[in-house]
Amino acid sequence: MAQNPPFRRVLIANRGEIAVRVARGLRELGIESVAVHSDVDARCAHVLQADHAVPLGGNTAAESYLDVGKILAAARRSGAEAIHPGYGFLSENSRFVRAVHDAGLVFIGPNATAMDRLGGKKAAREEAIAAGVPVIPGTEQDEGDAALVAAAQRIGLPVMVKASAGGGGRGMRLVEREQDLAEAVAAGRREAKASFGDDRMIVERAVFPARHVEIQLIGDRHGHVVSLHERECSVQRRHQKVLEEAPSAVVDEDLRRRMGECAVALARRVGYDNAGTAEFLLDDQGRFYFLEVNTRLQVEHPVTELVTGVDLVHLQVHVAAGGRLEDLLAGKDLRPRGHAIEARLCAESPENGYIPAAGLLRLVREPEGPGIRVDSGVYTGWEVPPFYDSMLAKLVVWAPDRATACARLSQALRDTVYLGIPTNVDFVRRIVDDTAFRSARLRTDMLQLRPELAAGPQEGPEDLALAAAVLCQAVAPRSGGGGGGNGAAARSGSTAVWNDLAGFRLFEGVR
Amino acid sequence: MKIRREYVRGGKPVAVTAELVDGDRWRVRVGEAAYEFTAQALGDGGIKLAPVGQEFERSFVAHGVAAGSDYMVRVNGRTHRLTAPAGRQASSGAADGTVRAPMTGTVLDVRCKPGDRVAADQTLVVVSAMKMEHKLVAGVAGVVQSVGAKAGGTVDQGAVLVVVEPEATAP
Repeated sequence: MAQNPPFRRVLIANRGEIAVRVARGLRELGIESVAVHSDVDARCAHVLQADHAVPLGGNTAAESYLDVGKILAAARRSGAEAIHPGYGFLSENSRFVRAVHDAGLVFIGPNATAMDRLGGKKAAREEAIAAGVPVIPGTEQDEGDAALVAAAQRIGLPVMVKASAGGGGRGMRLVEREQDLAEAVAAGRREAKASFGDDRMIVERAVFPARHVEIQLIGDRHGHVVSLHERECSVQRRHQKVLEEAPSAVVDEDLRRRMGECAVALARRVGYDNAGTAEFLLDDQGRFYFLEVNTRLQVEHPVTELVTGVDLVHLQVHVAAGGRLEDLLAGKDLRPRGHAIEARLCAESPENGYIPAAGLLRLVREPEGPGIRVDSGVYTGWEVPPFYDSMLAKLVVWAPDRATACARLSQALRDTVYLGIPTNVDFVRRIVDDTAFRSARLRTDMLQLRPELAAGPQEGPEDLALAAAVLCQAVAPRSGGGGGGNGAAARSGSTAVWNDLAGFRLFEGVR
Repeated sequence: MKIRREYVRGGKPVAVTAELVDGDRWRVRVGEAAYEFTAQALGDGGIKLAPVGQEFERSFVAHGVAAGSDYMVRVNGRTHRLTAPAGRQASSGAADGTVRAPMTGTVLDVRCKPGDRVAADQTLVVVSAMKMEHKLVAGVAGVVQSVGAKAGGTVDQGAVLVVVEPEATAP
């Protein structure tokens, strides 16, 4: 891939870890990166990483990273030739894609038409059906009780009986036995009528228990689309992924090929021409059903990179500049090799209902070692702002096999230190050390079924922890780590009686 | 050279003392239990500590920082937030009727006003942070004394949002 850089300068319309990761990829290609930032993000890790930075002003996402006018003005001002959107924010906004194009710049992502055709869930479902991709079988409308029962029999039990006005689980029932069907429809109608004032029902095959398996795609502007195989992301809390891995322990070569072909067929149908992900549910019979397409780089893209050896950001840049996949991937063996697992490390407290936590990171130590990759957006002294996503970093490990990857991830989590605000590090480690995860018995509702994983140990701190706390205060050169100097350090520090440790430092000289 | 702290464990205060014996050896008491450790600063805010006396007992790296009036320590793969007895504060929905912001965020909705009679567990304020909504509920039944939150405003972690005067309970 070592050709002339496809662009001289690229603006990254994002923040935090993904903007750091994109900037790193751009630098490897010999491209200068331009960061944009809100007021509170003036010293965010992505601004430090980039070659140039343009302030957007404001603090909320709407005032900054979602403001199309400000982003385009920053691109013009900095002389950027292309814009990489990262994930979230404007990455799946086709109006933004068109505005970038109209400004004479290149959008590093799919074309706006393909994005529109796959953007909405309903539109994507129709495209999937037309492309011959299996969707969750079900009725599209209510034609009376008899028709619903007949549909359920045709689809095959178990089925989910749902209110078509839907939402919040009301009017929704899992039916496993034929004799329960009529009653479930009747009860569902009563509930739906009471909840939504609309008693129409639909019947869908219950994909349950299910795994979340998705296919990474990359397309170019010459009609080629390649599957980079699956990732499994079944460990989710409130529909947010917590752990992702590649390959999936339950996807064999045949299933991988069939899912890949479906995803590629769907992408080709709409002229898809950059990185994207087709998401599926996989049931315990090995049947898969299309969910949706994410028309962007995913948070969990590193696990695919580690097992296939491709750099997805490099590929995104090259195909956006008109590169051909047949050249870019020539001679590469893309079969998955070894096993990769990613953990999303977030500033939140799973022990307290996943409440997010903004505030000062007084001490950050991220793990290192063979097979360990940390895509981080924070550092000691960084104050996590309350305005954006709570993800601090992604810890990704690679090992020759899944068991070794699990052990490696567990140890890397043990070595991860984020102090100052609550994080989910211990929670993630509890999952990784659980026998269900170790034996790859994964399902999308596993965290709901096992609330003790979020709750954590109920006993108080062991003597070792209390001893360590006091000894840290006695001998550590400076309690409180960095103290970044963005105001909060002084603010929180003033209330900390423990900071008054100056006298103890003398003892370091005694030895 | 001696340092003494008190932390809450299992709802009760525990006294923890560390006394320098010599060199880098410390005698540590946690409540009634006595230990001896060597402890060395690592220069990154962490320490290396090893039990003395028992050969080949595992040693540990520990990191600690002050966080507000609490102390956070990470050792042996677990993070603990230790609270001093004096520093015990009412969290949101505490039984004393003070509802505090659990995190820095934006107030989406205020569902009470001074003088309102509210039930325990009734939602009083909805706060949003990091794309997630949180309902803050009354910890006790009673009458709203004051409301310090305004819809659309931002609040700092720990800010008092609502004060509820608990209803006199029958003896």
